[in-house]
Amino acid sequence: MTQSAFGIPPGESGEAFTAAAARFFDLLKAFAAQPQPTPGQPPDWTSFAATLAGQFEQWLRAAPAAGAAFAAATGFPAGAFPGAVPIGPAAASAAPGEGTWELLMKLGQLQAQLTQHWSEIASSAAQRFMERLRAAGPTDLTPDNALALYETWVECAEEAYAASVRTAEFSRLQAQLTNTAMALLLAQRRQAEALARAWGLPTREEADALQRQIRELRQQLEERAAGSPAAAAAPRPKRKGPAKPARAVGPRARRRGARRGRR
Amino acid sequence: MSEPGVQASALFIDLGARVARTLARLREARGVTVGCSARRAVWSHGKTTLYEYLPLAGVPARPGTRPLLVCFALVNRPYILDLQPDTSLVRRLLGSGRSVYLVDWGNPDEGDRLEELNDYLEQGLGGCVRHILAKHRTAALDLLGVCQGGVLSLCYSALHPDQVASLITLTTPVDFQTPDDLLSKWVREVDTGLLARIGNVPGELLNALFLSLMPFRLMQQKYVRLLTGSADRRAVEDFVRMERWIFDSPPQAAAALTQFVRWFYQENRLMRGTLELGGRLVDLKAVRQPLLNLYASGDHIVPPAACEAMGRYVGSRDYTACAIDTGHIGMYVSRKAREEIPQRIISWLEARPVGRSRRRRRPA
Repeated sequence: MTQSAFGIPPGESGEAFTAAAARFFDLLKAFAAQPQPTPGQPPDWTSFAATLAGQFEQWLRAAPAAGAAFAAATGFPAGAFPGAVPIGPAAASAAPGEGTWELLMKLGQLQAQLTQHWSEIASSAAQRFMERLRAAGPTDLTPDNALALYETWVECAEEAYAASVRTAEFSRLQAQLTNTAMALLLAQRRQAEALARAWGLPTREEADALQRQIRELRQQLEERAAGSPAAAAAPRPKRKGPAKPARAVGPRARRRGARRGRR
Repeated sequence: MSEPGVQASALFIDLGARVARTLARLREARGVTVGCSARRAVWSHGKTTLYEYLPLAGVPARPGTRPLLVCFALVNRPYILDLQPDTSLVRRLLGSGRSVYLVDWGNPDEGDRLEELNDYLEQGLGGCVRHILAKHRTAALDLLGVCQGGVLSLCYSALHPDQVASLITLTTPVDFQTPDDLLSKWVREVDTGLLARIGNVPGELLNALFLSLMPFRLMQQKYVRLLTGSADRRAVEDFVRMERWIFDSPPQAAAALTQFVRWFYQENRLMRGTLELGGRLVDLKAVRQPLLNLYASGDHIVPPAACEAMGRYVGSRDYTACAIDTGHIGMYVSRKAREEIPQRIISWLEARPVGRSRRRRRPA
């Protein structure tokens, strides 16, 4: 069974549900652990906010946004890239692995920037939540209240998330992460192809070239089968090889040709 | 008021019991099936299969109706439209006595990485249309395009106006760069040159993209909400069916996905009138068929403004747009999906019987 980029196996709602319920319980536990406010004083939510932000950030890191998910899905957790170390003679050569270290470093930097966004989102969400709690006043922890509390928390989290991820800066970061992950994947493929060539194995590049030829041939066949006017009108490429399938050419065939010519 | 500590303990015991009950139900629901209406494959090309739904028992064929072809998106599975009997749009359409067909794009593999949008349109959708027209001995059919399938349907209707008598679009964007389109913002600077070269994109990756548009609602809240609703077997089975659909996304052929990202999201060609497919310009003004445009007012994937733009660009004189008060997925499985949406489609089609729509399609 394939694993989703967020670690949720398709169809295995039970695990995703348990994980979400556990986080819900964490929220409630943190809420219940708050010291009772002094009568007449507003409750102090500082430590609750810090706990929430911490839990939240942890979750965000585990459930990356699409750009980071792309990096993970294409097989590039930091440090996982196989390739020659660009030192010594390898540093000067134009080997297929050239540039991959730069790409890896770039990916690391971009992921660090993403983490910064997660921290900001987590802290902003906690801040928003505290403001709503303050406005709502003291709350008993009944089942209904607990679920209402959770709904408020999700609302705050989504608001904080939307405020950050809709910015041009975040969008650019997402695209850069995706582009860097793709560039790394292609660099890895170049290395694999070099190995395949050395071992006399067919490469993706060759498979693609063949596929293109098959595609063109299929199109020509379909056009001819359909007798499309476009196909008839289209200029035929000049044939480099024989116009028809090669026929046996020998003394007997030559004699036949000569007889036909006489007739 | 009881002691806070006692209250909290009672709460955790209560919630713990709810979690256990829900979890047990989820485990029981593992074997749920999806897709409820009987159908048979009637045509195929490559990975694309055309299904014909069998008429419902006791529902006579309605005279004066055209066959209806449903064209779903490439990025999701079409069985969401026939997930289970009580929410099945297909079943409701069959109930109106129509012949209903569905395009299933299948699972592209590495052999399909060079498949282009035009291949999906002309060989896939076009092949389905031609098969149905030949079978029913009719000149035109009704086309229902859903989401990205709606975009393909619009293109097809523009390029082959004689084959499409009327067009219905569900959550179909035309303007891919509206300010509230987060997906569009995120892919605007993606390097499509690289995208074309990396090969097919796994469905899981697109899922990650869609889920990360609203991660807390889509990956947290919906599960916790199971605790608030009734944990009866049916509700949980419905939930699991939806989950299966959400996480069951097909891979995307590299070339087609690249073209979709570049031409639609990055260059907004459909709206700008610069889209060319197979060497032909896709002019939305050529869409003169009666057109019903249904979209969700709370859609986080295809914002309402992206769909509303359709009315400004199509050439149809018989154009009806309607916002439904739900979200993107709600268009397929919510209460609205059960009642309002099929009803709107059926009554709209019934108001445009064979003779009438043909006259309207070619205004003097």
